[in-house]
Amino acid sequence: MRALLRQSLLILGLACLPAAGEALYLRDKVSWQSPIPASEMVTVADARGWGSNAIWVDARHEEEFSNEHVPGAILLNGDRWNDLLPQVLAAWSPGKRIVVYCSSVSCGSSREVASRLRKEAELKNVFVLEGGWEAWRETTKK
Amino acid sequence: MNLPTKALLGALILGISTVAHAQLAWEKTEIEVNPPAGADAAVATFKYENKGKTPINIKAVRTSCGCTTAALKKNDVAPGEKGEIVATFKPGDNTGLIQKTVTVETDDPKSLQTILTLKANVVRLLELQPAFVFWQANEDPKPKTIVAKAGKGVTIKSLEVTSSTPDFTTKVEPGSTAGEFKIIVQPRETSHQLDANLTIKPDSSVSPGKVFNASARVIPGAS
Repeated sequence: MRALLRQSLLILGLACLPAAGEALYLRDKVSWQSPIPASEMVTVADARGWGSNAIWVDARHEEEFSNEHVPGAILLNGDRWNDLLPQVLAAWSPGKRIVVYCSSVSCGSSREVASRLRKEAELKNVFVLEGGWEAWRETTKK
Repeated sequence: MNLPTKALLGALILGISTVAHAQLAWEKTEIEVNPPAGADAAVATFKYENKGKTPINIKAVRTSCGCTTAALKKNDVAPGEKGEIVATFKPGDNTGLIQKTVTVETDDPKSLQTILTLKANVVRLLELQPAFVFWQANEDPKPKTIVAKAGKGVTIKSLEVTSSTPDFTTKVEPGSTAGEFKIIVQPRETSHQLDANLTIKPDSSVSPGKVFNASARVIPGAS
């Protein structure tokens, strides 16, 4: 019986080896796997409380943005970063806070956009909206 | 044999038998590609084979975004038949390691849904640091520098920079390393709001005609 258990555990351990190897190999490459620090997230309620001090940035694809978006939001995504970034910068001024959102289902893009705004444009106070577009829509329905 | 041991063994046997008898077998479900700098698409081919004894119908193939397409020649896969799904990702202005998925749904009870992952290492043609320079109202209009750096494996001979308004002057100087340039930007004055889009054209054989943007602004003080 013990031998069987040992063998089972050995099989399980062997099965975990490739996963552990991949996790180690990709630890620096897959940025979206690590959680977003709480200080870089904002809830819908808090972001709405910022009023005109908030610049809403929609990181979804253009079709989704065209269908519906947060009033006053500016489209910015990796597909057309070069063309779209100047519009966000034109709206920015020191003291303003940027709230980036995408669909909560695929919210990797809001994180990417927020990160690029911090690194490439050197903007501070850039936040990712908790729950994304769906959270905003749910909250505003109430 | 006690109960936890039986449960563990049962789970193991079930897991192993499910993998062993899956009908639609994929050569790889994750492919990493390295498109050349400036490439407008990253392509991965996911090959499959029906290793079962009954036909399989591929009911749907969905991609994770509009920037990715997945081409499938036929939906019905006879026993022993091989085929492929060609996933094409258009990186646009995305850079770094980008991950996109293709979801394949079949009527095979053993593989109702398979997620195929395409990872693309997209090389940036030109990196601007920062892509935005600004002055506060009435700040000393000292020049500020944007460093433009060619991406890995990209050769840029020169840069042409133009400002959308004459309110800002620009000058390009060689950087500290090969493929690096300094773009010196200076406003003529800072007494009132000024906005300019800086158009940056690298002279490179990779993606000729590709243009990059940076922004320069004089921001008015709070009223």
